[in-house]
Amino acid sequence: MSQIRRDWVSKTSAGAILGFSLAIGLAGLFAWLTPGGLATPNKFQLVMWLIAPIWLTTLSLCFFFSSGMRAWLWLGGVNLLAYAGLFACRSFLR
Amino acid sequence: MRSDVVRLYKVVHTWTGITAGMFMFIAFYAGSITVFAEPLARWVSSPAPVRLTALARSDELIAHTLAVRPDAAKEFTLYLTDTEDLWARLTWRKGKDDRTPWSAELSSGGDLRLAQSYRSSLADFVDNIHRTAGIPGANDIGETIMGVVSAVYAVALVSGLIIVLPSLVKDLFALRIGANLKRMWLDAHNVVGVVSLPFHIVIALSAVVFCLHEPLYDALDYVVYDGRLKSVMAASNPFNSIKKDERPAPMLPVNTLLERVKAASPSFVPAEMRYRNAGLRGASVQVWGYDARYMTRGKGFAVISPVTGEIANTDYLPGREGTWTGVVATFFALHFATFGGDIVRVCYFLLGIAGAFLFYSGNLLWIESRRRTERRNGGPVNQKTSTRLMSAATVGVCLGAICAISITIVAAKWLNGRVANIDVWHNGVYYAVFLASVLWSFLRGAAAASVELLWLAAIAAAAIPFTSLFSWASPALGMQGSASMAALGVDLVALSAALCFVWMARSAAHRVEYGPADSVWAASHRQLQEATR
Repeated sequence: MSQIRRDWVSKTSAGAILGFSLAIGLAGLFAWLTPGGLATPNKFQLVMWLIAPIWLTTLSLCFFFSSGMRAWLWLGGVNLLAYAGLFACRSFLR
Repeated sequence: MRSDVVRLYKVVHTWTGITAGMFMFIAFYAGSITVFAEPLARWVSSPAPVRLTALARSDELIAHTLAVRPDAAKEFTLYLTDTEDLWARLTWRKGKDDRTPWSAELSSGGDLRLAQSYRSSLADFVDNIHRTAGIPGANDIGETIMGVVSAVYAVALVSGLIIVLPSLVKDLFALRIGANLKRMWLDAHNVVGVVSLPFHIVIALSAVVFCLHEPLYDALDYVVYDGRLKSVMAASNPFNSIKKDERPAPMLPVNTLLERVKAASPSFVPAEMRYRNAGLRGASVQVWGYDARYMTRGKGFAVISPVTGEIANTDYLPGREGTWTGVVATFFALHFATFGGDIVRVCYFLLGIAGAFLFYSGNLLWIESRRRTERRNGGPVNQKTSTRLMSAATVGVCLGAICAISITIVAAKWLNGRVANIDVWHNGVYYAVFLASVLWSFLRGAAAASVELLWLAAIAAAAIPFTSLFSWASPALGMQGSASMAALGVDLVALSAALCFVWMARSAAHRVEYGPADSVWAASHRQLQEATR
């Protein structure tokens, strides 16, 4: 197996930026897909609480990627999936 | 785990740890004290100079106050407990930031006595230090910085776990006390870190949320809610559960309202009632209180109409919350230790102190692994500038915060009622002691300063019980000590802390004189000899 690359800047930025957008996207999916949808009273607090664990888990673990490039590609891909889902919710569940 | 991955995460752990360490030390130390905010508030308070109006006369008190001061009707609070930090039965203020609220009492003859006084709380001050790590300026600046620091601290936690995972079973319960001091500190750092990891994860994530919830809501509103989050929030707001209605209407007695709340939740213990728009049909009362049977946000509340006696909202009443607020209340409880009573609070206090140790020992390990050691037959060594500065900063900041908090507590008791604006004094005393300690540490070097500041910490902590002794011994001082168990607990904890600091000061002094000379912790004259030998 090849040596893991350090790539501090690209890995950290991938985890911080794409990890954050992923957290927002997944929290948004939770808001849409759990009973009651977006407008349910009092749900928004739990939705907001979900961001920190998703974001910081991604940031913490993204140094496992073998390179910064892979971190950006993988996290970018997962982001695309999450936001495609969010877009679908907006279009079909409104 | 591949060794190159572990090496990578060692770097992550080192730099995230060293960035967050000292902020976190202050936040954890002050946070441990904040767990016992109520006993601290009671310790610093003198028993109220005016006897509180008997609870049974609350309705009379409310009616009299509203007749004389209609401006109080908009929002006033009736307190239901009788602890010594309570200074009036009924108070009202103009807006959230009004620091000079009015209060009302009934004399035994039935006359209404109004007073306006400056109120502040020592416990709030320590809580502010906890939330901002003492970063000066407006609270939200300090909190935003601490939100980012908490995120860095979360990364430090995960990376630390990844480093110890491969040798977890082998190393966890090995505390190798012996000649290799660095090994011993590392073992202690690891065992404290691993054992309290769940606590730290909970604290790190919730701290990020508490500090950064506003930008997080903004991001959600923009991306997910399409700008509609405000209206969702308004629809969820428990204070909007009673519709506005400005026609006058008589209000039910206090006891009737409390009985209705008791019927809704028998284990709930009310502590205060916040009236809004009293005397109107759209009036509401938030009954705030505690319930030891549930995980709560601290105080919970029910909203009740004082006109009809109907309970309008239980979203925040412990045990009666809905799904969503109930889950979130659990997160709050896990941060604030508002569940399980005093045993859990004591555990959180100890975990908080252990957390402070974790950050202190982390910095020591950073210094130790950069130490230049004397080679067996080699020449003299000089420690690097970076380790000298880091050791001085660690000693100055950590011990400085400990000394500053103790001295602020003592000063608060001596100054209570003698100065016009005690908040200014809290700040002045804290920052004077803190900055002087940091300066002292850089001037004297870490070795000497660690001993001197530990002695100061011991004296400052011991001054807390001695202040209580003085206040009982000479009533002429006019600062009547409280003799409740809660206040005595503060004295007892401070006394044991003082003894701990004495022990630490003595062993630090021993290290300065007799420890290895090729270390930042040796007396400077010994380091000099070493360097010129």
